[in-house]
Amino acid sequence: MVLDLTMSMAILALMGALATIAGCLEDLESDVGSQSNPNSQVQLAPQMNFLHRIYNKAVSGEPVSNGMSAVISGTVTVVLLDKGFFLLTAIALGALVGAIVLGIFATTSYAGRVASQARFKQPLYMDIMRYTTPSIISHNFIMNVCLVSLAYIQCVVLGHPFPIPFLALVWGITAGAVGSSVGDVHYGAEREFQNREFGCGLNTALSGRIVIKAESGLRNSIDNVWFCAKYGGPVTGLGLGLVVFLSSWPATIIQPRTIDDFWLTIIIGLIIVVLLGIAHRLVEYSINNAYGPYKEEKNEKEAAA
Amino acid sequence: MSDIKEIPASTLAAFGIIGGLVGIYLSPYFPAAGALGAICAVIWASEAVRRVSKYGLGTGVPSIGQIAMGMGIVASMFGLAIMHTIPLAGPIVALLTASVIGLIIGWFAQNVIKMKIPVMIRCMTEIAAAGSLIIVGFSAAVAGGFEFKQLLHSVFDNGIMLIAFWVGAVAILHPFNAVLGPDEKQKRLLYLAGSTGAITMAILGIAAMMTLGNSGIITLLLGVILWLIFYKLFWDEVYKDAAAVVGTGLIPRTEA
Amino acid sequence: MATELLLLSLQEILFIAISGTLICIAVHFVPVGGAPAAMAQATGIGTGTVELAAGSGLVGLLTASYMYSSVPDAPMALVLAAGAIGSMTMMAVTMFFGGLVYAYGVGVPFASAQVKKDPITGARQDIYMSKGTQGQGLPMVCYVSGLIGGALGGIGGAMIYFALESIYKPLIGESAPAVAGIFTMGVFYVNAVIASYGVGGTIEGFHDPKFRRVLPKDTLTAFIVSLLCGVVAVLIAWGMV
Repeated sequence: MVLDLTMSMAILALMGALATIAGCLEDLESDVGSQSNPNSQVQLAPQMNFLHRIYNKAVSGEPVSNGMSAVISGTVTVVLLDKGFFLLTAIALGALVGAIVLGIFATTSYAGRVASQARFKQPLYMDIMRYTTPSIISHNFIMNVCLVSLAYIQCVVLGHPFPIPFLALVWGITAGAVGSSVGDVHYGAEREFQNREFGCGLNTALSGRIVIKAESGLRNSIDNVWFCAKYGGPVTGLGLGLVVFLSSWPATIIQPRTIDDFWLTIIIGLIIVVLLGIAHRLVEYSINNAYGPYKEEKNEKEAAA
Repeated sequence: MSDIKEIPASTLAAFGIIGGLVGIYLSPYFPAAGALGAICAVIWASEAVRRVSKYGLGTGVPSIGQIAMGMGIVASMFGLAIMHTIPLAGPIVALLTASVIGLIIGWFAQNVIKMKIPVMIRCMTEIAAAGSLIIVGFSAAVAGGFEFKQLLHSVFDNGIMLIAFWVGAVAILHPFNAVLGPDEKQKRLLYLAGSTGAITMAILGIAAMMTLGNSGIITLLLGVILWLIFYKLFWDEVYKDAAAVVGTGLIPRTEA
Repeated sequence: MATELLLLSLQEILFIAISGTLICIAVHFVPVGGAPAAMAQATGIGTGTVELAAGSGLVGLLTASYMYSSVPDAPMALVLAAGAIGSMTMMAVTMFFGGLVYAYGVGVPFASAQVKKDPITGARQDIYMSKGTQGQGLPMVCYVSGLIGGALGGIGGAMIYFALESIYKPLIGESAPAVAGIFTMGVFYVNAVIASYGVGGTIEGFHDPKFRRVLPKDTLTAFIVSLLCGVVAVLIAWGMV
């Protein structure tokens, strides 16, 4: 489909917005289920005598599980579209099937992991199972709707050669990779060890000693996702949104016709990457100055005393 | 099957190979048989993943499932395509090619990269072979046969092959990853493997409704029924194995 | 026709072997700290090696395949460049936002545990390391290393796709992008996992001593395995004739 500049920009903005929501919800879903790398601390906690009421969802890493739910949603959507369903209905029903399958996998992993920790006397709390699993399913549902819509726009409107399930799978894997790299740090380093001093990394000696008591009562995964939705989730959303937006922006702006135009889009992409590198250096420099070093402070204190 | 004795690896390998091949060869007449054969291969592969992951791979359990399916898809399509003049030999050649590539990668991983896992070569071969049976079996359930040209039009063009590839990979690696821990038992793992395989079969049944029409409904229903059976068996084991399964409660006091 | 197909096949098999090796090398450049990094206990991005390399490589595959289909008779350099830029964009954005979470969410300065001074910016690393950790965050050298890794991974994935498309397109036409894309994904994952086994799950980038130690044997393994996969993938074309 050949589009003029206004329509292309509108489609690009829509794709960016869908990816932003998908990224944010992906990270929050991994926080409410405690998936991937921070889950290693939740897994370790009973061994350190820190029995907990946190959902231990271990569906093999975020790119894999989000790719799985996205590809299932994409395929069911394609089947329903083939039967003549209206587009939004097909996407919603497809996303529901993908989310329910992920919910089933999540229940088996919580039950299985806790059952294999029987020697540490960690109980399996069925009320945690009952009210966290629908939370996981609903977060994943929204993410699936956004990713399948993104795949549909790319395939049908923009004319990408890959079929819709393939595009949904790739964006699911990418959403998982971005969520795992960006948002999980907020959950793992900050929320899981919130009773430690702010502004330091996790001391190896503290591994497994996660927070088990909450602001009021016992800490559970719903408390964790409430906290992470304030920073980790939105930042992840911005990340995935920019990945989708910036990878297509040069081509939309230039509207390339000749081979030279295409090389110009490559150059613009390279300039964007360099600008991001400069921004990263500025962040690193400013926080080094703002926070100061750890060890020099100790020397100064000794010298003053 | 008592709790102390485990099912030997060779028995599960025979179950996987024979079940998988029988299912694939029956699929032109009864497409759901291909998926049933693939479930046998899933159960075999998840046991192999368990054996190799117990030594600690360093990078996590998912990687071995992904390398197996990556090899499996290229090897199995090679077997089917190269034998398209003698269709019946296709799945056997696919199985052999995947085993050979798995053997080579396992040899390199053990001796060049020096991973120091005793069962690496055997398990990598088994997982790659099972991967190829899973892909061919599940694709045959959607395409209604295992000839290469059929697969090209029914499974590749619309992207359904990716379900066999990706959800098949998760079906292999989820069972051990989900029961990881010091008190892990083989029986729970095998029931979970049957459950994940059955979910994949159900999804492919939905996909088959587009490619094959009404026979997809049989695949979907069989998949759901098998899932219910295996899921119930899994939960029975969880109730037996867990320290305590409680409706709700505070954290119990331990001697700390 | 048969000899032309044979010569083209040999060329494409070599391309696939080279690109598989590039993917394996790319994974060594990407700074990944695994589970400890997600807890600000080690330098690098807090995810698994395979996951991040695969994510960026697949975004590169999407941009490369779109470029290939938009431009009639696209030169190989253009398709490879499109793959590299897509992959680099994803790595750059991911690392920048990951850095933001370390900087303002957890409140730690970036520090590497492997070097005393950052090779690129010259900043001191050891005094900014938190007590009891192996570094945290993403210092500039890790960022640059990640960009290089992203570029190589994007080029590798795009090259496999280009090679397979050249062989399959005359034979199966419409189905070629989907088939070539799925096989690219398969070969991509095989090479990424081989690199991940060699690295052992965590690496800080090209300044890490582990990099020089494991790269030769991983490259050899990846070349031979990719050669094998290339032979198999190209011979499938003979079954399509």
